[in-house]
Amino acid sequence: MTDDKDVLRDVWFGRIPTCFTLYQDEITEREAEPYYLLLPRISYLTLVTDKVKKHFQKVMRQDDFTEIWFEYEGTPLKWHYPIGLLFDLHASNTALPWNITVHFKNFPEKDLLHCPSKDVIEAHFMACVKEADALKHKSQVINEMQKKDHKQLWMGLQNDKFDQFWAINRKLMECPPEDSGFRYIPFRLYQVTTERPFIQKLFRPVAADGQLNTLGDLLKEVCPAAVTPEDGEKKNQVMIHGIEPMLETPVQWLSEHMSYPDNFLHISIIPQPTD
Amino acid sequence: MAEVEKQPSLSAQEGGRGECGEEPSDGGAAVGVAEPAPPSAGSPVTEEPAEDTKKKIDILLKAVGDTPIMKTKKWAVERTRTIQGLIDFIKKFLKLVASEQLFIYVNQSFAPSPDQEVGTLYECFGSDGKLVLHYCKSQAWG
Repeated sequence: MTDDKDVLRDVWFGRIPTCFTLYQDEITEREAEPYYLLLPRISYLTLVTDKVKKHFQKVMRQDDFTEIWFEYEGTPLKWHYPIGLLFDLHASNTALPWNITVHFKNFPEKDLLHCPSKDVIEAHFMACVKEADALKHKSQVINEMQKKDHKQLWMGLQNDKFDQFWAINRKLMECPPEDSGFRYIPFRLYQVTTERPFIQKLFRPVAADGQLNTLGDLLKEVCPAAVTPEDGEKKNQVMIHGIEPMLETPVQWLSEHMSYPDNFLHISIIPQPTD
Repeated sequence: MAEVEKQPSLSAQEGGRGECGEEPSDGGAAVGVAEPAPPSAGSPVTEEPAEDTKKKIDILLKAVGDTPIMKTKKWAVERTRTIQGLIDFIKKFLKLVASEQLFIYVNQSFAPSPDQEVGTLYECFGSDGKLVLHYCKSQAWG
């Protein structure tokens, strides 16, 4: 039987084989070869694509270096969403590698946030961690930590150091002995078919009668349309980190073991593939 | 439906990126929005919003440090308004220069992403029927 701790490692080390191709209208001095890279599911595009940028800048004119941005089949990819979420939401049922188009011009202001430096990624990441702890522990755990502990979370993510990260993150995953779970579960539910960016609501891991709430309970409450009716046909996949957890899984367990490093469960609701 | 009494400084700035839709929640006989607010940068275009996304939520703005205090602190804001939209609105109201930064905090602990919708923040962090947001010209809580 797999140890629960193994799940943490599987989540951390998940990778997506990706092929980066320069947009055809970008002006180059030579032919731009595609660039292949294994992307960490738990990280952010602008944090792990320095090599991609360097590769394409080599074939471009020196003065054309404006902000890099990424797109998949016409959809600009939000760098501030974790990579695994972007893939699950947009490309999980297509053949690998994931084909991403690289742009340097015509930054889509309406769709993407700017990412001028790594500091912006760090600030965004830490804000998410803080928001998650506000939901889980009324911010008590994150506020009790020192600045260096916050830094260690970021450095662990940036340098792909599982042990360094979890030395601090485990504290954010604990709850007082008298409680059977967090106050509320930090989660976001994404669907490409709606215009809303995501659904995020207050949801308790433990019901009034002391029973552990499940993933199915969460869906019924916040997105009933995603739940397959009793005798109905399964229309959607409910995906986290590329897999469909059983709907009977307690959300407390999911929160502790399958959250992204920002401590949120980012859940994709995607159409059931037809083949 | 009566026209919403818009702040003069806002309606002059409209031009497709205006902040119509905000209105003081105390005083004024506002009963509805004259036209839907245009989407602010980063927020998706809403199609046929459901009844509850049309409803506005109450936001209480509190200044931090030596940041100027808004004369009107309580605002009724559409749920789909983004944090960036709110930042732009406060900056205009306080007559700050575009290059000046403004940070918004929830629970005096975290700064939400600029594309976060205030409706979601209200759902998760609102209390006593309102969402309290602190704003500051410098980073107050990291």
